Amino acid sequence: MKFELHSLKTAHQIAFKAAVVSGLALATALPMTSLAQADVLKVAQGRDPQNLDPIDTFTLSWGSFGSNIFDGLVTRDEQIKLSPGLATSWEFLEEGKRIRFSLRKGVKFHNGEPFNADAVKFTFDRLLGEEGKAGPQRANYTSIGSVEVIDAHTVDFHMAKPDPVIITKLSGYGAMIVPPKYMAEVGPEAFDKKPVGTGPFKVASYTPGVDLKLERFDDYWNGTAKMEGVQVRFIAEPSTRMAEIMSGGIDISLNIPTTSIDALKQNDNVELHAVDGPRVNIFRLNPAKFITKDIRVRKAINMAIDKKMIVQALLSGYGTPINSAQGSKSFGFNPDLETYEYNPEKARQLLKEAGIKPGTEIALDYRSNRDLDREVGTVVASYLQAVGLNLKLRPHEASIYSSEIIYKGNTGEMFAFGWGGWTFDFDNTAYLLYHTGERFNPYIKDEKLDALLEAQRQTYDTEKRREGLQAVAKYAHEQAFEVPLFNIAALYAVGKHVEGFVAAPDDRLRFMNVSVKR
Amino acid sequence: MSIAAFFIRRVVQALFVLFIVTLFVAFLIRLTGDPASILAEEAASVTEADLERIRESLGLNKPFLVQYYEFIRGLLTLDLGQSFFRGAVGDLIAIALPSTLVLALSSMLVSIAISIPLGIHAAVHKGGIADQIIRVVSLLGLSFPNFWLGIMLVLLFAITIPLFPASGFSGASSIVMPAVTIGIILTATNVRLVRTTMLETLSSQYVMVARAKGLSERVVIYKHALRNAAIGIVTFLGLQFGNLIGGLVIVELVFNWPGMGTLAVEAIGQRDYPVLQAAISLLAVMIVFVNLVVDLVYGLIDPRIRVE
Amino acid sequence: MANEHSQIEGQVKRSSFRQFEFVAGLMLCGTIGMLALISPLLFPDGGQSVNLLARLMPPLQSSEYPLGADPLGRDILTRIIVGGRVSFTVGILSALGAVTLGTVIGLFAGYYRGFADALLMRFADIQLALPFILLAITIIAIFGPGLDRIIILMIVSQWVQYARLVRGSVLSLREREFVQAARSYGLANSKIIFRHILPNALGPLIILMTLNVANNILLESSLTFLGLGVDPRVASWGGMLAEGRNYAQSAWWVTVFPGLAIMMTVLGLNMLGDWLRDNLDPLGRTRL
Repeated sequence: MKFELHSLKTAHQIAFKAAVVSGLALATALPMTSLAQADVLKVAQGRDPQNLDPIDTFTLSWGSFGSNIFDGLVTRDEQIKLSPGLATSWEFLEEGKRIRFSLRKGVKFHNGEPFNADAVKFTFDRLLGEEGKAGPQRANYTSIGSVEVIDAHTVDFHMAKPDPVIITKLSGYGAMIVPPKYMAEVGPEAFDKKPVGTGPFKVASYTPGVDLKLERFDDYWNGTAKMEGVQVRFIAEPSTRMAEIMSGGIDISLNIPTTSIDALKQNDNVELHAVDGPRVNIFRLNPAKFITKDIRVRKAINMAIDKKMIVQALLSGYGTPINSAQGSKSFGFNPDLETYEYNPEKARQLLKEAGIKPGTEIALDYRSNRDLDREVGTVVASYLQAVGLNLKLRPHEASIYSSEIIYKGNTGEMFAFGWGGWTFDFDNTAYLLYHTGERFNPYIKDEKLDALLEAQRQTYDTEKRREGLQAVAKYAHEQAFEVPLFNIAALYAVGKHVEGFVAAPDDRLRFMNVSVKR
Repeated sequence: MSIAAFFIRRVVQALFVLFIVTLFVAFLIRLTGDPASILAEEAASVTEADLERIRESLGLNKPFLVQYYEFIRGLLTLDLGQSFFRGAVGDLIAIALPSTLVLALSSMLVSIAISIPLGIHAAVHKGGIADQIIRVVSLLGLSFPNFWLGIMLVLLFAITIPLFPASGFSGASSIVMPAVTIGIILTATNVRLVRTTMLETLSSQYVMVARAKGLSERVVIYKHALRNAAIGIVTFLGLQFGNLIGGLVIVELVFNWPGMGTLAVEAIGQRDYPVLQAAISLLAVMIVFVNLVVDLVYGLIDPRIRVE
Repeated sequence: MANEHSQIEGQVKRSSFRQFEFVAGLMLCGTIGMLALISPLLFPDGGQSVNLLARLMPPLQSSEYPLGADPLGRDILTRIIVGGRVSFTVGILSALGAVTLGTVIGLFAGYYRGFADALLMRFADIQLALPFILLAITIIAIFGPGLDRIIILMIVSQWVQYARLVRGSVLSLREREFVQAARSYGLANSKIIFRHILPNALGPLIILMTLNVANNILLESSLTFLGLGVDPRVASWGGMLAEGRNYAQSAWWVTVFPGLAIMMTVLGLNMLGDWLRDNLDPLGRTRL
């Protein structure tokens, strides 16, 4: 048989080379089509709010850009100071039973529709009516009884019950003013994807799970934005989001995992902005069951943990140890409240008094997607080991964790909880943590605590409320209902080429004054 | 069995499989978790009554079989219904499905472009050093966790040497890294497939005749042998499809690729029943369809298979 | 003839390469497996000792942390050695479970044909139509994470492969002379199955198992990556990769070393499987 070794070799060598070449070509010759447009700001966040209608969502992932599309009657700036928004002024009448708002004139929605008293009434009728019932927002605004149109630029809010936080609540989420005519034209489903507001940017396009594109609204009542457009990308995997900001694929990233702090600080193209935020992380204790029924055990657990060390190591200092479930910016914060000092000796002593044998096993439940809870839990486990408690870590899938573990009271001795009330008012956190029957509170039934919580809701007197909330914090501390761990800073990773960015504590971005130098 | 009877039987079997799969998934996903409380997760003061109202508006109060029936009816009338959180399911699929198909095809292409020449090279040099190197390298390709490979590629080619975008689906350059990640894993098996199939064909009488006719070796390999081996290779690629979809899920997550895997995983997390049911059913339809085609083609070529 | 000669020469080279493949494969997974097995004696703390002062210590800086320390200051080398236990346990137990279940069902389906056989084939179809990862995510989301669940999931998803393989062997064997002869002697069906048919299918089963152990180790790491793993204090390779991925840019050693451990083990197993295939399965039933 004749066998042409030579030609055989060349033939497949050609094929082999062709493969290498085509591989390289594929790798290098493809045009970089995603070259950034100079006048579009690129932002990334972890979640897609999935619905742009203000009354259909309650996620921070909507709040992060929502105030660029919509305005409320009240505006809150980057320093969380309240100022007039679509209302120029307001006054409390009849001891707060009625609130009168004077509305701004000459304001237009993105579709040209004028803003007036009818729009305000429509907004709140919708929120409190049938449509709002299907969404999560309504519950927050039920203190409003009805809205009455006085004239084209004046409305009265008739309060169904006192609500000392109502003005703050009017600066976000469900209270964003929406246009009645546009809504009637397109219907609620189209509004979910392409809503219209009065804000500095209008929605250009929204692709679920991919991105939201905003365009500058030139007729904005309060100046003109610097950028022509904004693209908000939704990138769920944290390490991917971090890869994007470090490679310059995006300009600003929210939802910075604490695990990436070091890498961001080392990166030359990125600056890490931090500001005290509302978010607190606590490990709650189960006072209804197990050994944590004993207050001495709860106190011992508190004393066994060195929070300062945890903040220093795991948060690289971007947080502050706390003594109650709130940060220093929260209304109701008490700087003088004592804290359980780190004292393993005393912790061991207390456990002995309570008759707990060394090596007793307890469990911590947490959400499997929270890296920080896992890390803190592991460190806490080693602190507890030192005082003779054997902590088992039990991760749960996110939606099971709330609906099956917390709501139904199926936690172990400890369970992780993170909360950041956007109102920066301890009422928001304390009520759901301690009031009997709240879904996030499966265990605590304490009449004294209920009374304290309810009393501060009945008054508009700021000082009285502050005292009331401080009393709640003190009581919770005395009972050692939780291990308050730390108040974590609101973190933003921002490209060094971005100008005019101000880090806000509430995870909301304001794009008005941000610009990009490429 | 006649071809028609065989055909009908396989289609009926495929429909049965799809029925069981959808029923199973629809049942499973409803076992735990509560979409209503997920919707209201970050709301502070929500009462049980509020949740009940939300559940009702999502249609969760109906009996399971009614919900399932409505889903199947929707499937048949091509109306996939509304997501609990994000509008029409059809719109979501319209974005996710093409993204996944683009990625799947590109990965296959990457893999074919590498494995055919490498496989032929190995077959022709059977037992030589090149063959052995190719063999070990292809085993190596099977030995990475794919998400890890993806993260390493991003680290190298998006951050350290910024050649490609780190994530997302924005133009041709963004396909390269995810396609290579999946492609490498597919390549490992494909190289060996090409090698074995080529070895068999090269030693077949058919090729011997071609050689005896005095055709050049290039023509023998690329025109006669490769074409003959192609049937086997294509069939196997078809059978790989299910694996490919599985591998896609994780790689899509790593590269934030807006495909069916990402969609399904998010839907599981949120207990978004309509989206998950639609996504898994569609993937199952695709897999079953590809298998069915492979089966039918085989049945046509080789009548013995029809008996089984 | 030149052609034949070169092929024979190839066979010779090939067989020496084969020996290399066997030795290298055995050494790789043998060493790592042995270390994992005796790790409780070497490291009584199971690599769980936290030391925040050693957080993210780079490799080769301290004899206590030769491969560096992870974000909680745990020794990476220790955790890699100990972590092999989880990987091997999951890989081997699930393969054993699947092979047992699959063999029994495959034998009966192939031997008795009829309804049992039809049922098996439909089961196989259903399994093929459900992407495993999505099924795993759903199941674990619903029933919670746990090593036992991961193992059961793998068994459920893999037994069909074995069942099909065994069924195929049975189908081709049951009409062969020696089986027919055994039957005509009035041997019980169970004896025919276990004495005559099963031994013939053993080779391919062992190969498939080896490859599946490798595959399962990768799957375990993927599931852990998706946050479906177990108690994070217990060292596992998948857990180390998943936990380290956010540190990849600032502390490469946290992810790279466990990644290499997985790669070497799986490569070793694949090489062994490859070698076994050449020696136990001349018919190529387990090819691909």
